[in-house]
Amino acid sequence: MHRRTFSVLALSSVAALLAACGASGDGGTTTADGTTNVKIGVIPIVDVAPIYLGIKQGFFTQEKINVTLETAQGGAAIVPGVVSGQYQFGFSNTTSLLLASSQGLPLKAVTSGVASTGDPSKDFGAVVVKADSPIKTAKDLAGKRVAVNTLKNVNTTTVNNVVKKDGGDPSTISYVELPFPDIAAAIAKGDVDAGQLVEPFLTIATGQGNRQVVSNYAGTSPTLPVGMYFTSKNYAGQNPQVVTAFTTAMNKSMEYANAHPDEVRAVLNEYTKIDPAVQKTLVLPKWPTTVDRAAVQQLADLAEQDGLITKKPDLDGLLP
Amino acid sequence: MSVLAIPVDRWRRPALGLLGVVLAAAVVEALPRLGLVDERFLPPFSRMVTGLTEQLALAEFWTALGQTLGGWALGLAIAMIAGVLAGVVIGSVPLLRAITSSTIEFLRPIPSVALIPLVVLIYGSRLPSALILIVYAAFWQVLVQVLYGVADVDPVVRDTARSYRFSRWGVIRSVVWPTTLPYVVTGFRLAAAVALILEITAELIIGVPGLGRSIGVAQSSGAVTETYALVLFVGIIGVAVNGFARAVEKRTLRWHTSVRRDLA
Repeated sequence: MHRRTFSVLALSSVAALLAACGASGDGGTTTADGTTNVKIGVIPIVDVAPIYLGIKQGFFTQEKINVTLETAQGGAAIVPGVVSGQYQFGFSNTTSLLLASSQGLPLKAVTSGVASTGDPSKDFGAVVVKADSPIKTAKDLAGKRVAVNTLKNVNTTTVNNVVKKDGGDPSTISYVELPFPDIAAAIAKGDVDAGQLVEPFLTIATGQGNRQVVSNYAGTSPTLPVGMYFTSKNYAGQNPQVVTAFTTAMNKSMEYANAHPDEVRAVLNEYTKIDPAVQKTLVLPKWPTTVDRAAVQQLADLAEQDGLITKKPDLDGLLP
Repeated sequence: MSVLAIPVDRWRRPALGLLGVVLAAAVVEALPRLGLVDERFLPPFSRMVTGLTEQLALAEFWTALGQTLGGWALGLAIAMIAGVLAGVVIGSVPLLRAITSSTIEFLRPIPSVALIPLVVLIYGSRLPSALILIVYAAFWQVLVQVLYGVADVDPVVRDTARSYRFSRWGVIRSVVWPTTLPYVVTGFRLAAAVALILEITAELIIGVPGLGRSIGVAQSSGAVTETYALVLFVGIIGVAVNGFARAVEKRTLRWHTSVRRDLA
């Protein structure tokens, strides 16, 4: 009893102090003039440049949405944030959303987020090796050590897919989990034979003399929807008009980004520390405004093949 | 502790400390220059310093520094107040002490970082997430010290005060507090360091605004020099926080035998 009282007291006093410091969330509220405040969980990477541009262009205020971007260090923090209502919308890679929804998390994609350029030699994600590596094609990756940023996710399933398409046996690849910034160093030291990189690390690595073997995104599908914006089913059910407004503004932002690559490169300065020389040369992804359902189905099938999911995700429930 | 040892010691210790810093800097300068490590991944010390001076010119750097120090100070203050209050109350009531001791020993070793998934769920990447982690980690440091301090009160002195009809508050103020204060200050010094570690961790891992998040952004942008420059600066903050805690200790305990030189 006393013990319980003590911990309850300790916790609630902390909670009270926190509440006094203004801890209560202000997301999801609507002001008198009909503007809705929304919080969006994003990762500070190239993929989300359109949302920064769209805010600057006023696409969100036109739709009466006041956006606050909250940067998380990884997608893993964003999905729970959206489910708990901390964020009203979030950005995540498509495979993570498929995994989450096959586990029964009530997520709803609202629009596309980022997709492959469709050009296998010039995509924003690819597998690279040292310049003098014997690995020449995707098939040669079989039996090698390949670094990826997350095991059992979009990068392993798509690398497996391109290796298989090229006639290699992907089950012989041993994957090593490393953060993107560490992969080029691991390739240089010989800790791994190859690594899957995305921009800006891809341009930095090839600039340092590494060679691109294959793009696992364009190699899987020319329109591969790598990431999407999503919300919780709960929020979507209660606020259909906000979801529509957000989707409209987001689609305008992505169209604008596709049409103004120079502005995309410039806006990177505002939320990343990418070297100016790399900013000019890195490969920008495509930002389609519709989700390619067939390609999402393909990602789901790949995830199932690799045993990431045992239950087929409900695409009708997940996709917009 | 001869009389002669004091001036030499006073002169020698900072000099040796400085020499240690210079040597460490020289090693970090030499390793990449000699090609022992790849300088693309570990830039020489001089380049980190140049990177840091570039940072010092940016407004966003100072904003981030303010956020880091603000979160640290607020978290530390909450932990100090809660720890001292809980410690004095629990320590003064033997029954309460006996009842809570197993709970405290159970909760204390839980690493604060294990709470990250929980705080992300509740507060997302905002200041309260960092505060929970800081308060949880720093609270125990203070509480346990205060408990030891209260237990250290001389029972004869306390009973004397009671027989002179000191009120409960009077006993706490005149007997318990002076005995406990050195322990509180030790708790403060430990908590100050732990609070900084947790503030930076929360920023780096969760993305709470501050220097830790700047390190994370620099890292995910492939800006190697900038990453190291910021890490170097966080180290400097650590040294400063420790110096600050020691200064507080000296000032608060200037009457205490452990600090007074005239009694040595």
